[in-house]
Amino acid sequence: MIQLGTSTRGALSRERDVREAYAAHSGELYGFAVRSLGDAGLAEEAVQETFVRAWRAGERFDPKIGSLRTWLFAILRNVVIDLGRARAVRPAVAEGGVEPSVEPLDEALLAWQVEEAMRRLGEDHRRVLVETYYRGRPYAEVAEELGVPEGTVKSRVYYGLRALRVVLEEMGYED
Amino acid sequence: MKTRNGCREWRELLGAYALGHLAGDERAGLEAHLEGCAGCREELAALEPVALMLPHGDPARFELAPEPPPELGRRIASTIEGEKQRAQQRRRRRTFGGFALGGATAAAVAAVLLLFVFGGSSQDASQPVRFTDLPEGISISATLEPHAYGTEIHMYVHGVPSGTLCRVWLKGPRGASYPAGTFRYRWGDDSDAVLSSALDISRTREVVVDTGKRTFVAPVNPPGATATIGQEETT
Repeated sequence: MIQLGTSTRGALSRERDVREAYAAHSGELYGFAVRSLGDAGLAEEAVQETFVRAWRAGERFDPKIGSLRTWLFAILRNVVIDLGRARAVRPAVAEGGVEPSVEPLDEALLAWQVEEAMRRLGEDHRRVLVETYYRGRPYAEVAEELGVPEGTVKSRVYYGLRALRVVLEEMGYED
Repeated sequence: MKTRNGCREWRELLGAYALGHLAGDERAGLEAHLEGCAGCREELAALEPVALMLPHGDPARFELAPEPPPELGRRIASTIEGEKQRAQQRRRRRTFGGFALGGATAAAVAAVLLLFVFGGSSQDASQPVRFTDLPEGISISATLEPHAYGTEIHMYVHGVPSGTLCRVWLKGPRGASYPAGTFRYRWGDDSDAVLSSALDISRTREVVVDTGKRTFVAPVNPPGATATIGQEETT
């Protein structure tokens, strides 16, 4: 779990705390907002609304119940739902080169977690997972392309999955 | 079957096994090892949930790492600062209102002050307007200010869907409507919409806000309103 040093009760009631929370979590929140809304402008709006709502309700935040990151994601989730309802009434044009997501929100969150975790993996580990799992290529073919023994590709898949688990845990994932 | 020495070599096959990529002798050999090795079974149990998550990811998006624009943080700080100032203004208005209504002496002092400041009667004072019985999550308030041309309306709406077109008008003593204009509510922008209407504040009886799906009405009771009774309205 990611925890902020300022995660005490009411940790977001001061502007300085909002700045710290923004520095720590805005990238992830924005990434998820873009992934689920498919529109860079709407994603900015969603992140802005999330921090403003968090600041308004800052006194109610209690780290004994959950981390600041989890709380911010819960607020963002509600904001995205509200924006989705508004967009259902007023169709928006996708911007920022990302296709709009049509998945239910929980699926979008899961997808974003996997994609963000894959982005944080080392190149060697990400490459073998993409080639063998997502592209379904034979290990021998991937090994030849990379110029390494087939056993090395298998061990990289193993260490890649381990690294992926560590990254997901850092992002707050629990079994 | 290839001979493997110790757990480490078997363990390095666990990733391919968890993804369903092992076959034949290699798979059979690993499964035999797993039966007798609690440590490797535990390691496999840690990898399997991760393997089950992989289908949810879209590899086409692995290279996309959208970053929030640099100005977003400043916009949020500015919005919060604006909201703080607004809250302080409301507190000051409430304080002044309490003082003005506090007693006959205080009211007399307030009337003299208003006369001095505006060069007119106490009906020239800014008039806070309360919207009551609002749905949960929606805040609407307004402040009316007198002008020679009519009334300036500082309109605050929060909580309706972002992008909502809001139409505002004032109603006079006989129910005639005087348009005050439109604005679009956006999340994160908590500034007042400043609108104006030709209706004099002393003759304003209601502020009406139409958000498309719902219409909200708040009563206005301007001081000294009796002075204008009998005047005709035009729409």
